[in-house]
Amino acid sequence: MHVSPLSWIALTCAIVAAGIMLYYLVKRPPLDAAGKSVMMLGVGVLPIMVAMIGNMEGLAATEHQSFCGSCHTMDMWIEDANDPESESLAAIHSRSHKFGDKSCYVCHKDYGMFGYAMTKIGGMNHVYEFLSEWMWYDRDEVIEKIHIVRPFKNENCMQCHSMTGKIWNEAADHRGLLEDLRTGKTSCASAGCHGYAHPFSKPDEETPSHAETHSALQAPAAEGR
Amino acid sequence: MVYACVLGLIALALMSWSLFDQGWIPIMMAMSVGQGIGTLSFALFLVIVIIDLRQAEFRPSLPPKSKTPEDD
Repeated sequence: MHVSPLSWIALTCAIVAAGIMLYYLVKRPPLDAAGKSVMMLGVGVLPIMVAMIGNMEGLAATEHQSFCGSCHTMDMWIEDANDPESESLAAIHSRSHKFGDKSCYVCHKDYGMFGYAMTKIGGMNHVYEFLSEWMWYDRDEVIEKIHIVRPFKNENCMQCHSMTGKIWNEAADHRGLLEDLRTGKTSCASAGCHGYAHPFSKPDEETPSHAETHSALQAPAAEGR
Repeated sequence: MVYACVLGLIALALMSWSLFDQGWIPIMMAMSVGQGIGTLSFALFLVIVIIDLRQAEFRPSLPPKSKTPEDD
Protein backbone atom coordinates (compact mmCIF):
# COMPACT_ATOMS: atom_id res chain seq x y z
CA MET A 1 0.00 0.00 0.00
CA HIS A 2 1.50 3.29 -1.12
CA VAL A 3 0.57 6.32 0.97
CA SER A 4 1.45 9.69 -0.54
CA PRO A 5 2.97 12.59 1.44
CA LEU A 6 -0.31 14.50 0.96
CA SER A 7 -2.17 11.68 2.67
CA TRP A 8 0.17 11.91 5.64
CA ILE A 9 -0.52 15.65 5.85
CA ALA A 10 -4.24 14.93 5.77
CA LEU A 11 -3.86 12.30 8.46
CA THR A 12 -1.94 14.74 10.67
CA CYS A 13 -4.73 17.32 10.22
CA ALA A 14 -7.30 14.65 11.06
CA ILE A 15 -5.46 13.63 14.22
CA VAL A 16 -5.14 17.24 15.42
CA ALA A 17 -8.81 17.95 14.63
CA ALA A 18 -9.90 14.76 16.39
CA GLY A 19 -7.75 15.72 19.40
CA ILE A 20 -9.45 19.12 19.64
CA MET A 21 -12.92 17.61 19.41
CA LEU A 22 -12.16 14.85 21.91
CA TYR A 23 -10.71 17.43 24.32
CA TYR A 24 -13.93 19.41 24.07
CA LEU A 25 -16.08 16.30 24.61
CA VAL A 26 -14.10 15.20 27.66
CA LYS A 27 -13.20 18.49 29.35
CA ARG A 28 -16.03 20.76 28.14
CA PRO A 29 -14.04 24.01 28.27
CA PRO A 30 -15.98 27.32 28.15
CA LEU A 31 -16.82 28.44 24.61
CA ASP A 32 -15.45 31.95 24.85
CA ALA A 33 -13.77 33.70 21.92
CA ALA A 34 -10.55 31.69 22.29
CA GLY A 35 -12.47 28.44 22.71
CA LYS A 36 -14.52 29.14 19.60
CA SER A 37 -11.37 29.92 17.62
CA VAL A 38 -9.84 26.59 18.59
CA MET A 39 -13.08 24.77 17.79
CA MET A 40 -13.20 26.57 14.44
CA LEU A 41 -9.86 24.96 13.73
CA GLY A 42 -10.97 21.54 14.97
CA VAL A 43 -14.45 21.40 13.42
CA GLY A 44 -13.90 23.63 10.38
CA VAL A 45 -10.45 24.38 9.01
CA LEU A 46 -8.66 21.08 9.61
CA PRO A 47 -11.52 18.77 8.52
CA ILE A 48 -11.94 20.89 5.37
CA MET A 49 -8.25 20.34 4.62
CA VAL A 50 -8.71 16.60 5.17
CA ALA A 51 -11.69 16.66 2.81
CA MET A 52 -9.81 18.59 0.12
CA ILE A 53 -6.78 16.30 0.23
CA GLY A 54 -9.13 13.31 0.40
CA ASN A 55 -10.84 14.52 -2.78
CA MET A 56 -7.54 14.95 -4.60
CA GLU A 57 -6.22 11.58 -3.51
CA GLY A 58 -9.56 9.86 -4.00
CA LEU A 59 -10.03 11.14 -7.53
CA ALA A 60 -6.44 10.21 -8.37
CA ALA A 61 -7.03 6.72 -6.96
CA THR A 62 -10.02 6.21 -9.26
CA GLU A 63 -7.60 6.19 -12.21
CA HIS A 64 -5.75 3.11 -11.01
CA GLN A 65 -6.39 -0.50 -11.91
CA SER A 66 -6.67 -1.37 -8.23
CA PHE A 67 -9.76 0.85 -8.01
CA CYS A 68 -11.41 -0.71 -11.07
CA GLY A 69 -10.48 -4.13 -9.71
CA SER A 70 -11.98 -3.45 -6.30
CA CYS A 71 -15.31 -4.69 -7.69
CA HIS A 72 -15.10 -8.47 -8.09
CA THR A 73 -16.89 -8.24 -11.43
CA MET A 74 -13.70 -6.78 -12.92
CA ASP A 75 -11.35 -9.45 -11.55
CA MET A 76 -11.00 -11.34 -14.84
CA TRP A 77 -10.38 -8.18 -16.84
CA ILE A 78 -7.63 -7.07 -14.46
CA GLU A 79 -6.11 -10.56 -14.45
CA ASP A 80 -5.99 -10.58 -18.25
CA ALA A 81 -4.59 -7.06 -18.46
CA ASN A 82 -1.78 -8.01 -16.07
CA ASP A 83 -1.08 -11.42 -17.56
CA PRO A 84 2.42 -11.27 -19.10
CA GLU A 85 1.51 -14.13 -21.46
CA SER A 86 -1.71 -12.57 -22.73
CA GLU A 87 -1.77 -11.08 -26.23
CA SER A 88 -5.08 -9.27 -25.85
CA LEU A 89 -5.11 -5.56 -26.72
CA ALA A 90 -5.75 -4.78 -23.07
CA ALA A 91 -2.70 -6.76 -21.93
CA ILE A 92 -0.42 -5.39 -24.65
CA HIS A 93 -1.38 -1.83 -23.75
CA SER A 94 -1.09 -2.47 -20.02
CA ARG A 95 2.51 -3.59 -20.54
CA SER A 96 3.33 -0.16 -21.97
CA HIS A 97 4.63 2.28 -19.39
CA LYS A 98 2.33 4.95 -20.84
CA PHE A 99 -0.66 2.92 -19.63
CA GLY A 100 0.69 0.68 -16.91
CA ASP A 101 -1.33 0.78 -13.73
CA LYS A 102 -3.78 3.22 -15.31
CA SER A 103 -4.56 1.19 -18.41
CA CYS A 104 -8.31 0.81 -17.68
CA TYR A 105 -8.70 4.55 -17.21
CA VAL A 106 -6.53 5.68 -20.13
CA CYS A 107 -8.44 3.51 -22.61
CA HIS A 108 -11.96 3.89 -21.25
CA LYS A 109 -12.08 7.50 -20.11
CA ASP A 110 -13.86 10.15 -22.12
CA TYR A 111 -11.66 12.77 -23.68
CA GLY A 112 -12.38 16.41 -24.48
CA MET A 113 -13.30 19.41 -22.37
CA PHE A 114 -15.85 17.64 -20.17
CA GLY A 115 -14.20 14.24 -20.47
CA TYR A 116 -13.14 14.01 -16.85
CA ALA A 117 -16.56 14.96 -15.50
CA MET A 118 -18.36 12.67 -17.94
CA THR A 119 -16.07 9.80 -16.98
CA LYS A 120 -16.87 10.32 -13.32
CA ILE A 121 -20.61 10.48 -14.04
CA GLY A 122 -20.26 7.24 -16.01
CA GLY A 123 -18.42 5.79 -13.03
CA MET A 124 -21.34 6.63 -10.77
CA ASN A 125 -23.57 4.70 -13.16
CA HIS A 126 -21.22 1.73 -12.77
CA VAL A 127 -21.53 2.00 -8.99
CA TYR A 128 -25.32 2.02 -9.28
CA GLU A 129 -25.28 -0.98 -11.60
CA PHE A 130 -22.92 -2.86 -9.29
CA LEU A 131 -24.94 -2.18 -6.16
CA SER A 132 -28.30 -2.85 -7.74
CA GLU A 133 -27.45 -6.01 -9.65
CA TRP A 134 -23.92 -7.10 -10.40
CA MET A 135 -22.60 -7.52 -6.88
CA TRP A 136 -24.72 -10.66 -6.53
CA TYR A 137 -23.24 -12.40 -9.57
CA ASP A 138 -20.32 -14.81 -9.42
CA ARG A 139 -17.57 -14.92 -12.06
CA ASP A 140 -19.41 -17.29 -14.40
CA GLU A 141 -22.54 -15.17 -14.38
CA VAL A 142 -20.51 -12.01 -14.86
CA ILE A 143 -18.73 -13.28 -17.95
CA GLU A 144 -22.04 -14.43 -19.39
CA LYS A 145 -23.96 -11.22 -18.87
CA ILE A 146 -21.53 -8.30 -18.77
CA HIS A 147 -21.32 -5.89 -21.69
CA ILE A 148 -19.84 -2.48 -22.31
CA VAL A 149 -22.38 0.29 -21.80
CA ARG A 150 -21.79 1.71 -25.30
CA PRO A 151 -19.47 0.65 -28.12
CA PHE A 152 -15.83 1.47 -27.54
CA LYS A 153 -14.96 4.67 -29.38
CA ASN A 154 -12.13 4.79 -31.92
CA GLU A 155 -11.53 8.33 -30.63
CA ASN A 156 -9.97 6.79 -27.56
CA CYS A 157 -7.50 4.80 -29.69
CA MET A 158 -6.84 7.96 -31.68
CA GLN A 159 -5.54 9.79 -28.62
CA CYS A 160 -2.29 7.87 -29.22
CA HIS A 161 -2.70 6.36 -32.71
CA SER A 162 -3.48 9.55 -34.56
CA MET A 163 -4.16 7.83 -37.91
CA THR A 164 -1.88 10.30 -39.63
CA GLY A 165 1.46 8.49 -39.16
CA LYS A 166 3.37 7.27 -42.21
CA ILE A 167 3.66 3.66 -41.05
CA TRP A 168 0.01 3.57 -39.99
CA ASN A 169 -1.05 4.75 -43.44
CA GLU A 170 1.14 2.18 -45.16
CA ALA A 171 -1.28 -0.55 -44.05
CA ALA A 172 -3.74 -1.00 -46.92
CA ASP A 173 -6.63 -1.79 -44.54
CA HIS A 174 -6.03 1.45 -42.70
CA ARG A 175 -6.02 3.49 -45.89
CA GLY A 176 -9.13 1.80 -47.23
CA LEU A 177 -11.09 2.25 -44.03
CA LEU A 178 -9.75 5.64 -43.03
CA GLU A 179 -13.09 7.46 -43.13
CA ASP A 180 -14.93 4.63 -41.40
CA LEU A 181 -12.28 4.49 -38.70
CA ARG A 182 -12.35 8.22 -38.09
CA THR A 183 -16.13 8.32 -37.90
CA GLY A 184 -16.25 5.19 -35.76
CA LYS A 185 -18.24 3.17 -38.30
CA THR A 186 -15.62 0.43 -38.12
CA SER A 187 -14.15 -0.31 -34.73
CA CYS A 188 -10.39 -0.69 -34.34
CA ALA A 189 -11.08 -3.27 -31.63
CA SER A 190 -13.31 -5.52 -33.69
CA ALA A 191 -12.96 -9.10 -34.81
CA GLY A 192 -11.85 -8.32 -38.34
CA CYS A 193 -9.23 -5.75 -37.31
CA HIS A 194 -7.16 -5.82 -34.14
CA GLY A 195 -9.52 -8.10 -32.26
CA TYR A 196 -11.46 -7.43 -29.12
CA ALA A 197 -9.61 -5.70 -26.34
CA HIS A 198 -10.79 -8.38 -23.90
CA PRO A 199 -11.28 -11.44 -26.14
CA PHE A 200 -11.72 -13.90 -23.24
CA SER A 201 -15.02 -12.18 -22.46
CA LYS A 202 -16.41 -13.02 -25.89
CA PRO A 203 -15.98 -16.80 -26.14
CA ASP A 204 -18.85 -17.40 -28.56
CA GLU A 205 -18.08 -14.59 -30.93
CA GLU A 206 -15.68 -14.56 -33.80
CA THR A 207 -12.21 -13.58 -32.74
CA PRO A 208 -9.14 -13.34 -34.94
CA SER A 209 -6.57 -16.05 -34.61
CA HIS A 210 -3.43 -15.48 -32.62
CA ALA A 211 -1.43 -15.00 -35.81
CA GLU A 212 -3.89 -12.47 -37.21
CA THR A 213 -3.90 -10.44 -34.05
CA HIS A 214 -0.15 -10.58 -33.80
CA SER A 215 0.42 -9.48 -37.39
CA ALA A 216 -2.20 -6.76 -37.14
CA LEU A 217 -0.45 -5.37 -34.09
CA GLN A 218 2.89 -5.05 -35.84
CA ALA A 219 1.93 -1.78 -37.50
CA PRO A 220 1.12 0.17 -34.31
CA ALA A 221 4.10 -1.37 -32.56
CA ALA A 222 6.39 -0.26 -35.37
CA GLU A 223 4.79 3.17 -35.37
CA GLY A 224 5.68 3.47 -31.70
CA ARG A 225 9.29 2.92 -32.54
CA MET B 1 -21.51 21.54 20.18
CA VAL B 2 -21.41 17.95 21.40
CA TYR B 3 -23.31 16.83 18.29
CA ALA B 4 -20.97 18.86 16.07
CA CYS B 5 -17.95 17.15 17.65
CA VAL B 6 -19.41 13.65 17.44
CA LEU B 7 -20.41 14.13 13.80
CA GLY B 8 -17.01 15.67 13.07
CA LEU B 9 -15.24 12.64 14.51
CA ILE B 10 -17.34 10.26 12.40
CA ALA B 11 -16.63 12.35 9.29
CA LEU B 12 -12.90 12.40 10.01
CA ALA B 13 -12.84 8.65 10.49
CA LEU B 14 -14.56 8.07 7.14
CA MET B 15 -12.34 10.55 5.29
CA SER B 16 -9.16 9.18 6.85
CA TRP B 17 -10.12 5.60 5.98
CA SER B 18 -10.13 6.47 2.27
CA LEU B 19 -6.55 7.76 2.46
CA PHE B 20 -5.24 4.29 3.27
CA ASP B 21 -7.72 1.94 1.62
CA GLN B 22 -8.40 3.10 -1.91
CA GLY B 23 -11.09 0.67 -2.91
CA TRP B 24 -14.41 1.94 -4.19
CA ILE B 25 -16.26 1.61 -0.87
CA PRO B 26 -13.92 3.79 1.26
CA ILE B 27 -13.53 6.39 -1.47
CA MET B 28 -17.26 6.62 -2.16
CA MET B 29 -18.03 6.71 1.56
CA ALA B 30 -15.47 9.45 2.19
CA MET B 31 -16.55 11.62 -0.72
CA SER B 32 -20.28 11.33 -0.05
CA VAL B 33 -21.26 10.25 3.46
CA GLY B 34 -18.05 11.46 5.14
CA GLN B 35 -18.13 14.89 3.59
CA GLY B 36 -21.87 15.19 4.12
CA ILE B 37 -21.54 14.44 7.83
CA GLY B 38 -18.54 16.79 8.06
CA THR B 39 -20.52 19.59 6.44
CA LEU B 40 -23.38 19.01 8.87
CA SER B 41 -20.95 19.11 11.78
CA PHE B 42 -19.45 22.41 10.61
CA ALA B 43 -22.91 23.85 9.96
CA LEU B 44 -23.96 22.99 13.52
CA PHE B 45 -20.85 24.72 14.84
CA LEU B 46 -21.59 27.82 12.77
CA VAL B 47 -25.18 27.90 14.00
CA ILE B 48 -23.91 27.84 17.59
CA VAL B 49 -21.46 30.67 16.88
CA ILE B 50 -24.11 32.77 15.11
CA ILE B 51 -26.61 32.27 17.95
CA ASP B 52 -23.93 33.30 20.45
CA LEU B 53 -23.06 36.39 18.43
CA ARG B 54 -26.70 37.43 18.12
CA GLN B 55 -27.19 37.07 21.85
CA ALA B 56 -24.00 39.01 22.51
CA GLU B 57 -25.42 42.00 20.57
CA PHE B 58 -27.99 42.53 23.30
CA ARG B 59 -25.56 42.25 26.15
CA PRO B 60 -24.52 45.69 27.38
CA SER B 61 -20.77 45.83 27.18
CA LEU B 62 -20.63 49.36 28.57
CA PRO B 63 -22.71 50.89 31.33
CA PRO B 64 -25.54 53.07 30.00
CA LYS B 65 -24.59 56.63 29.44
CA SER B 66 -25.86 58.77 32.27
CA LYS B 67 -28.14 61.53 31.15
CA THR B 68 -26.76 65.03 31.26
CA PRO B 69 -28.83 68.15 31.50
CA GLU B 70 -27.79 69.09 27.93
CA ASP B 71 -29.44 65.93 26.61
CA ASP B 72 -32.74 67.27 27.74
